[in-house]
Amino acid sequence: MAAADVRDMLDLPAEGQPRPLKKQKVAEKRPEGITRELFALLGERAPPIAINENRYKGRPKWMSKLRVRPWRMVPFENSARSDGLVLRHWQRQSEPAKPALEGSEMEVEGTTDGKHTSEAVEKDYMFAKYNVKARVPNRYTDEEYNRHLKSDDWSRQETDYLMDLVEEYDLRWVVIADRYDYQPHPVDTETNTTALVPAKSIRTMEHMKARYYFIAASMLALEHPPSEMSEAEFELHEKMMKFDPERERSRKELAALQLNRTADEVREESILLEELKRITANEQEFITERRELYSRLEVPISVGNTTMYQSSQGLSQLLQTLLQADKSKKRRSILAPESTGAAPSPAGQTPASNAPGSARDSRADTPNTSAPAAAAAPTNKKAAAAAAAAAAAANKEAEKTVRTLTAAEEAKYGVQHHERLAPGVQFRSDRAQKLTQAKSNVQTQKLAAALAELAVPLRLVMPTERVCKEFEKLIHSVNLLLDARKVAEKVDNEIRVLEAAKEDRERKTKEAQEKTKPEVKSEQQEEEDQPLIPADTAAEAATAPDPNGPATAPSAAAAADGEAGEKSAGGGGPAASTGDQEGASHKRSASVLSNSSDKSSKRQRK
Amino acid sequence: MNPSIPPSTAEYGGDEVSAIVLDPGYSTTRAGFAGEDTPKSLIPTCYGKYTYDGQEKLIFGDDIFVTPRPGLAINNPMGRDGIVEDWDMAERVWEYSFTSRLTGPKPGNPLQNGLNDAHESELPIEMEGVETEEKPLADSPLLMSEPGWNPTKAREKTIEIAMEKWGTPAFYLARNGVLAAFAAGKASALVIDIGASNISVTPVHDGMILKRGVQHSPLGGDYISSQLRALFKLNTPQPISLTPHYLISSKVAVDAGQPPQVKYKTFAPEKAPDATYRALLEERTLCEFKECVVQVWPGPNKLSAAGPNGVSNEDLAKASPGRPFEFPDGYNQVFGVDRYRVVESLFDAKAAISDPESVSPAPTQAQTVPELIKNALNGVDVDVRPHLLANVVVTGASSLLYGFTDRLNQELMQMYPGPRVRISAPGNTAERKFGSWIGGSILASLGTFHQLWISKKEFEEHGPNIVEKRCK
Repeated sequence: MAAADVRDMLDLPAEGQPRPLKKQKVAEKRPEGITRELFALLGERAPPIAINENRYKGRPKWMSKLRVRPWRMVPFENSARSDGLVLRHWQRQSEPAKPALEGSEMEVEGTTDGKHTSEAVEKDYMFAKYNVKARVPNRYTDEEYNRHLKSDDWSRQETDYLMDLVEEYDLRWVVIADRYDYQPHPVDTETNTTALVPAKSIRTMEHMKARYYFIAASMLALEHPPSEMSEAEFELHEKMMKFDPERERSRKELAALQLNRTADEVREESILLEELKRITANEQEFITERRELYSRLEVPISVGNTTMYQSSQGLSQLLQTLLQADKSKKRRSILAPESTGAAPSPAGQTPASNAPGSARDSRADTPNTSAPAAAAAPTNKKAAAAAAAAAAAANKEAEKTVRTLTAAEEAKYGVQHHERLAPGVQFRSDRAQKLTQAKSNVQTQKLAAALAELAVPLRLVMPTERVCKEFEKLIHSVNLLLDARKVAEKVDNEIRVLEAAKEDRERKTKEAQEKTKPEVKSEQQEEEDQPLIPADTAAEAATAPDPNGPATAPSAAAAADGEAGEKSAGGGGPAASTGDQEGASHKRSASVLSNSSDKSSKRQRK
Repeated sequence: MNPSIPPSTAEYGGDEVSAIVLDPGYSTTRAGFAGEDTPKSLIPTCYGKYTYDGQEKLIFGDDIFVTPRPGLAINNPMGRDGIVEDWDMAERVWEYSFTSRLTGPKPGNPLQNGLNDAHESELPIEMEGVETEEKPLADSPLLMSEPGWNPTKAREKTIEIAMEKWGTPAFYLARNGVLAAFAAGKASALVIDIGASNISVTPVHDGMILKRGVQHSPLGGDYISSQLRALFKLNTPQPISLTPHYLISSKVAVDAGQPPQVKYKTFAPEKAPDATYRALLEERTLCEFKECVVQVWPGPNKLSAAGPNGVSNEDLAKASPGRPFEFPDGYNQVFGVDRYRVVESLFDAKAAISDPESVSPAPTQAQTVPELIKNALNGVDVDVRPHLLANVVVTGASSLLYGFTDRLNQELMQMYPGPRVRISAPGNTAERKFGSWIGGSILASLGTFHQLWISKKEFEEHGPNIVEKRCK
């Protein structure tokens, strides 16, 4: 293709004869309001000044095309008035229906229309609708008043006056109380001016309210008996019946006090409020922090659909898919072969509560649980290291071989088997904590005191499995000991009381006449026999745990020993001090033992 | 906004019926059309009276200040407590206030205006046309204001004048406290009105005054004038004599504190105007002095008390630069702490400058502004007090004294440290001066108000007592 063709196609000028550049004739427009001569003087380059036209802008063009809509002074009547007062205001003349349609004809019609409407007084005054009145109860008849509303304090006339005021001022109690000025017996004063005007009783707002509410509630009840009232009506009725002027008065007194506080009191209050604000803010912060912590500790809640796993078929299907997923990932399960869902099941799909098997598996994934996957839950650093080593070793080995651990190895690695698991997540430390807490607070304190006496810390320093077991035993025996002591004290008390009674009686009998002496003695013996029976039973009850007593005390000592040994082994602390401690704990436990044994022997003697 | 489209009436609830609002005060009378923002007609309530050619003549409006006619006496139809005393003259003055600027003089009775004067020879025409004489307010409803303590008789007299003499088709009488609250846009407020002859505190609840809380005392602008006169008498370099402009023929400029060099104009005893005329013009000078010099100690605490850092407030006031003022006779002086002292007695009765010759008696503590407020609040229910304190409306021209609202705020905060105190005082001078008129203008142009008018028909039916029933 020749260049010329391309040029032709693109509509470019042919080469060699460039298209003459069009001389841009910048015909500068002469702005309006400046004469031609003056504009010529400016030359080609007009100075960059804006020529301001100081001219009235007028209406925009579109506006002048609109038809002028006339206003006229129109008389109007307010339907909220009863006297038909006619006032006049400016009103835009009502528009004919279609002003755009045809010219003259319509216009004539329109104007006549307008005249008609303006001549007739407006139908309804726009603001009349705002003429609203408060709803006041129906007026009572004479009969109703005499039967239901009589009051010693309020005469009929004054009641009427109150109801008038209430209606007049639309229940604005502040104004009503302000304007309340009842002149008792106006007729009397008119006819007999010399008669003494009785001292005007001052009605407070509370009096008026109480009276009015009583009347309103009574009228409401007369209209509809309370059983037939609607919800709202009944509520209103209740509210009005429950009005307590005394309480209202005291409330107002308080309000007045509050209003007339001194500056110091106000300052103090503001300081206190500031303090309160600070405290609540801190608390809020604490709560949010704690919530955050809890949310971290909580098991992720599964949101997936669980209905398909609820049948056994569904479950087995799930098992298959999981196994397959496991295989395809080439990941070897380090769990025991019987725990089927070895693969970490996706949290979103695992039903947490509905499918118990898989739920257990999902728990096994979290390191904090006491799930059977003990390898995943190391008890201490050593065990953890061991578990890690085991896992590594297991990884190295081929997936086909699953090692069965010997008892020694299990002990070494800290593998445990549980028969039954408590549902949910829990800390191991909780279990140790639970031991030191008895049912009652007092008991807990006693337990703590006993432990303190044995120099065993409430919270174990090195809670290995063995130590925990020993600790458990110790706690158990301490509990028994405490029980025994309690019973012993009780019995002691009883003995003391009875002895005192006995002395008393002896004294009395000595004072008594000599002739009745032998009789009294026999009685005494009888009486002595009787209280022995419950004491004996008590002793029996106390001795029942006694066989454990000597057994538990040494075991406690042994536990303390073991712990101390653990300490010295684990912590590598100064041996001398631990030895000392040991000795001390021995002594103390011995003393405890002797105490209890003393008591028990006493009891046995009894 | 397109100027050709009116704001829809629902937007502001307005509906103007070309009502006239008349707000008579002790010093000035304000009148104007409802719906406007300032009264078109503002005249002094005083009128001048003199005899000329054996005929008694009256002057109204601003003309009373102009010419010192022989025997010209200035009178005020209002009493010192804001209640009308001379009803005939009050009617004339009020009528002048709206006929002079608003409605225009109606063409008089054609029988009497001279245009149709019959020649002597013609027979006298029957006088039945007198009955149809057009009355000045025949086509405008009238809203008038009154102080909160206006007695029933005065209210009834007012409606009689409006209905019978002026022929208004509809009338309403509103309390000026309520109107001032409306002007501030509040239906409930504690209105503190500092006027010329009176200061008043009016608790307003839902557009109605609480009568038991209304308090007033005579410590208004005129009282401050009397304090000023007392101050001038005791002035230290020399007592200052007040000479109004009309008595000065020529004067020479003198230095501050120097005795004036002035030539007085003298009037022959039979040509001289009455003493009340001089008092009126002296009052004008004092008014100027109050506007330029007088200042209220802004607080905290009284002027006589010690400030927060041990320095007494008086010393602080002395330290502030004084304000100069030149009197009509050329005497001029810088006023230091004295300019605070003259108004201090509005808040602290003990600070009053005593002057045995003064017309106004020494104030008691109960007449001071803080006490009035306290009494007013004690007169109303305790539940509305905090709300009233949060809506304090200050109005009246004398409240324009420099620093008045600051001091009032301080006093209120001191008296009531607990509740929130909020003062609403418009900064605009006109809004402060014409507070109650503006409220009336708003009220009378509201569409919802038109049902409250007392119509002529109702007046004829129930008599003047209807004003007690309707205008609560």
